[in-house]
Amino acid sequence: MTGTEKSIGEINKRIEDGSVRVVTADRMSEIVSELGTEEAAKEVDVVTTGTFGPMCSSGVFINFGHAEPPIKMQRVWLNDVEAHTGIAAVDAYLGAAQLSEDKRMEYGGGYVIEDLVAGKPIEVKALGYGTDCYPRKELETTITLEDLNQAVMLNPRNSAQRHEVATNSTDKTLYTYMGTLLPSYRNANYCGAGALSPLFNDPDFETIGVGTRIFLCGASGYVAGAGTQHSPVNNFGTLMVAGNVKEMNVEFLKGASFYGYGVTLYVGIGIPIPVLNERIAKKTGINDADIVTEVLDYGVSRRERPVLRKVTYEELKSGLIEIEGKEVPASPLSSFFMAKKVAEELKSEIEVGKFLLSLPVERLPTDTVCKPMKQTKELPLVKDVMIREVKTISERASIADAAKLIMEAQFTHVPVISKESKLVGIVTAWDISTAVAKRHEGLAEIMTRAVITADSEEPLELVIRKLERYNISALPVIDGDRRVIGMVTSDEISKLVGKRKRWQWKLRI
Amino acid sequence: MKLLLRRFSTHLHDTPYTAEVILETGAKINIDRANVDAVRADLIIDVPKDKVERVAELFREKGLEVKKLMKLIAWDETRCVHCGACISVCPTGVFKFDSSWNICVDDEKCVRCEVCVKACPLGALACVE
Ligand code: SF4
Ligand code: SF4
Repeated sequence: MTGTEKSIGEINKRIEDGSVRVVTADRMSEIVSELGTEEAAKEVDVVTTGTFGPMCSSGVFINFGHAEPPIKMQRVWLNDVEAHTGIAAVDAYLGAAQLSEDKRMEYGGGYVIEDLVAGKPIEVKALGYGTDCYPRKELETTITLEDLNQAVMLNPRNSAQRHEVATNSTDKTLYTYMGTLLPSYRNANYCGAGALSPLFNDPDFETIGVGTRIFLCGASGYVAGAGTQHSPVNNFGTLMVAGNVKEMNVEFLKGASFYGYGVTLYVGIGIPIPVLNERIAKKTGINDADIVTEVLDYGVSRRERPVLRKVTYEELKSGLIEIEGKEVPASPLSSFFMAKKVAEELKSEIEVGKFLLSLPVERLPTDTVCKPMKQTKELPLVKDVMIREVKTISERASIADAAKLIMEAQFTHVPVISKESKLVGIVTAWDISTAVAKRHEGLAEIMTRAVITADSEEPLELVIRKLERYNISALPVIDGDRRVIGMVTSDEISKLVGKRKRWQWKLRI
Repeated sequence: MKLLLRRFSTHLHDTPYTAEVILETGAKINIDRANVDAVRADLIIDVPKDKVERVAELFREKGLEVKKLMKLIAWDETRCVHCGACISVCPTGVFKFDSSWNICVDDEKCVRCEVCVKACPLGALACVE
């Protein structure tokens, strides 16, 4: 490639003398299609990108200063939200997704960070174990951001390049980190800033690397390295970023809560991309129509969720996408309006000479992939714990028959089957006693027809979740033809889990 | 125009009061929402503007509390980040983006199902009386 070659030094000189030409990434897409890459590379020095969305993998390192008498904080809470200790005496890390002890999902780490930046007073409580050098065991105080020695945001995984689109095939509303997902594909939610998104404008990490200066929630921050789960091979690049909380602007960070999922922090990140040559100009010319992601069915709560289709940001941003022949309204969870504002803000900071660009001191890896967790001590699968000797009853049976069966077999739940041996309902000892009181006779009248079932290959964890969620104590295991092949009961699970003490905390049934 | 109807006394159970009002006024009334519990029933109805006064008066005569709902959904603009999470969950299309991706709220269409209240991550939406 011939033509324009600029250095960072030249661009920074233009920033200093005020002659720099900066455009936002969405405008760059237009410029590239109007003028072509060669002219665009000549005309534009810097492209500013922006994103503003929920980023759970965020948090703040805090140093409180020493108390008199001093304490080694073993546990510490800010406004009733616990921060991680286990580092030096008065250092802690407040994670954005941590929930409030008292208000649970209504308040948490993200909100504390927002309140700190807003200058609000924060109640601090700490416990220590008492040592010769740190004798104190309890502490309560009120601080503001100003009182802290340091408050450094260090977000292990931000600015993800790509996000999946979430929808829901089941007949229940799901409350997820991808927002409220209505039943039967009634809506779809997505994230990310499309053509404004930082990493899509530099997909090969030519200018974004360790040490790149960025806009982080109103402060000037840095890329600290590749983010966790950085997986550029399949366009899932991520960044670890750092910045001084004391310089941040509350407009560009917001505590938030996803109903039924938990607390997070909306983070505004802007990354300037120096247009050093035509190649970079071309990449920053990316359009929403070029950015492809996948629509996943969150109705399947497994790590590998079924991919329903591929979709571009252009289609997503139209507000309607097609899923299985249906027009489905699509909503972003991140904000295009704020992403644009971030990119504009960064643009004007560069134009007035307040923000100089830097080249990375080290390139980010472009060949890593994100591995799943290695799990060595799993709870078994349904087939390993289900009761196989299950008594079923015909739907044409009488209530008296069912009562007899329940008494004899000592089961509290009996699956009801059709002529073809397919599961059509379930009756419990409770149903029977109320039926007797109300003088019902046929089983079909009183059985529950919408039976929650399990699959024999399902991990027990998911069954525990179902038992909890539907507040039931047993469910039938069925095969592909809806034939009952077993039963899982909370009693059996408790017995098994009881043997493994460390799992017990999970069981609330 | 939306009206909130509230009744406490149980004898109204036996009276088809909504039907009576419709017949008496000829107003095309839509029932947006009904909440019934042991002590009271709340009904939100949509009434054509020209018939609102007459309809409200008749319901009052029948012993119901009637309140005009001026604001159906309260939107805290200072908290809103214009994400759009409320758009796809709303059954009646109350929320839309304008050309610069600002959210616009057309609250007249609201049927107060409250789905958006949970869906808004910023807690910027509420159903008020
Ligand atoms: S979901 Fe809440 S924050 Fe997002 S646009 Fe709607 S009202 Fe605003
Ligand atoms: S309450 Fe229901 S109808 Fe009203 S704006 Fe919210 S989602 Fe739409």
